[in-house]
Amino acid sequence: MSEALKQSLDLSIFWEYRAILLQGLIFNALVFLCAACIALSLGLGAALLRVSRILPARIVGTLHVELFRNAPDYIMLVWVHFVLPLLIGLAIKRRVEFHPFVSAVIALGFVYSGYFAEAFRAGIQAIPQGNLDAGRAFGMSERLILWRITLPQVVRRMLPEALNLFISLFKATTIVSLIAVPDLMYNVSMVTQQEMRPLPLYTGAALTYFLIIFALSSTARAFSESWRQKIQA
Amino acid sequence: MGNWERLVWNQRDVLLAGFAVTIEVCALAFLAALIGGLVLCLTRLYVKPLRPVAVLLIEFFRDTPIFVQLMWVAYVWPELVGFPNDFFTAGWLALGLQSSGYLAETFRAGIEGVPRGQREAAFSAGMSPTQTFARVVMPQVALSSAPSIVNQFTVIVKSSTLVSVITVPDLMSQSQKLVNVWYEPIEILTATAALYIAFVFLISLVGKLIADRLRQRFGLAAS
Repeated sequence: MSEALKQSLDLSIFWEYRAILLQGLIFNALVFLCAACIALSLGLGAALLRVSRILPARIVGTLHVELFRNAPDYIMLVWVHFVLPLLIGLAIKRRVEFHPFVSAVIALGFVYSGYFAEAFRAGIQAIPQGNLDAGRAFGMSERLILWRITLPQVVRRMLPEALNLFISLFKATTIVSLIAVPDLMYNVSMVTQQEMRPLPLYTGAALTYFLIIFALSSTARAFSESWRQKIQA
Repeated sequence: MGNWERLVWNQRDVLLAGFAVTIEVCALAFLAALIGGLVLCLTRLYVKPLRPVAVLLIEFFRDTPIFVQLMWVAYVWPELVGFPNDFFTAGWLALGLQSSGYLAETFRAGIEGVPRGQREAAFSAGMSPTQTFARVVMPQVALSSAPSIVNQFTVIVKSSTLVSVITVPDLMSQSQKLVNVWYEPIEILTATAALYIAFVFLISLVGKLIADRLRQRFGLAAS
């Protein structure tokens, strides 16, 4: 028992493999960055559809949001990796396969686009109608109003929520190891199979993620607090 | 349609057995999260000497990805503390621990939101602190945090797909077993995904209805 405790606190084996584990962490960051780009752009698109005046557009936007917000990210990951290539293959009559990294980025990007869409929508709907009317009275086109009046305010308003979503997305990147993207968790399980010592390795992984995410979320919390005070003033 | 019948409808017993396990895991995890969250929250607020421990636990549960926590509980805890001894327990325990961190913060916000005057009024009416907590504070906390609690339950259901990784025979795991038997993932995985999405959608819909109705009935405006 105390022997086990000593073994788990002895993280030297985790340190021994730091090069390969750090490489894994870089993969986490890469998946995060690519998925975040997809999630942001798709999320904005879905939000614009949801607040559109055209009914079919609203329906499509709502379907997108409800579908991806209610989907577990693991099943989406598996679906995108194993089903989507087959469906595309059937459509173009050619064998298609996705690299695990591509599947990971698509799946996480789409799932989180649902959450981002809701954040964007809340921001868009909070903008006073008068702002838009004023823009139109100046002869601004709808697109110009979107870029110059709506989006700057939306971004300011949704920033705290968006930071939380980014942190959730980063946490979600750990599951990409399950389709063999060589991220930190994947490398940890590989090393575990070799060394047969799950104790220090998984503890090290948990601590590493905890420290990174704790640092990120404390910063985000402090920043959001001062940000809210600033935009309310 | 022939494929759907052969791969999904004819395998419904296998899939439903998995679904039952999923519900079991989620229910146990939810219960553990409610109790754990309340204990953590009360410790943080009212047990001064243990406060740093509670804060550290809450932060650790909240800031560690669920998959990492699941592997940690499943493979490290048995050696470290001799518990849990099977993967089923490890599965709901890990899910419950993570959510208890989030619920603790929800409860804390709820408790801190109850005006001080009410506690003073209860005290001057001769209620003991325990009575005050059970009869004045807690009902209001339950009401104000109802939407977050429902939301946390949907998070548990979504994360529960990961217990298949530690070989708990839940819906996800059963459908992957079927895929490995038939090598035809399209219908099976699509049906599984649809089932999960519908289930989570249903929970958030029903949960929102109940939460709104309770809040209306007891005088808090529905948000």
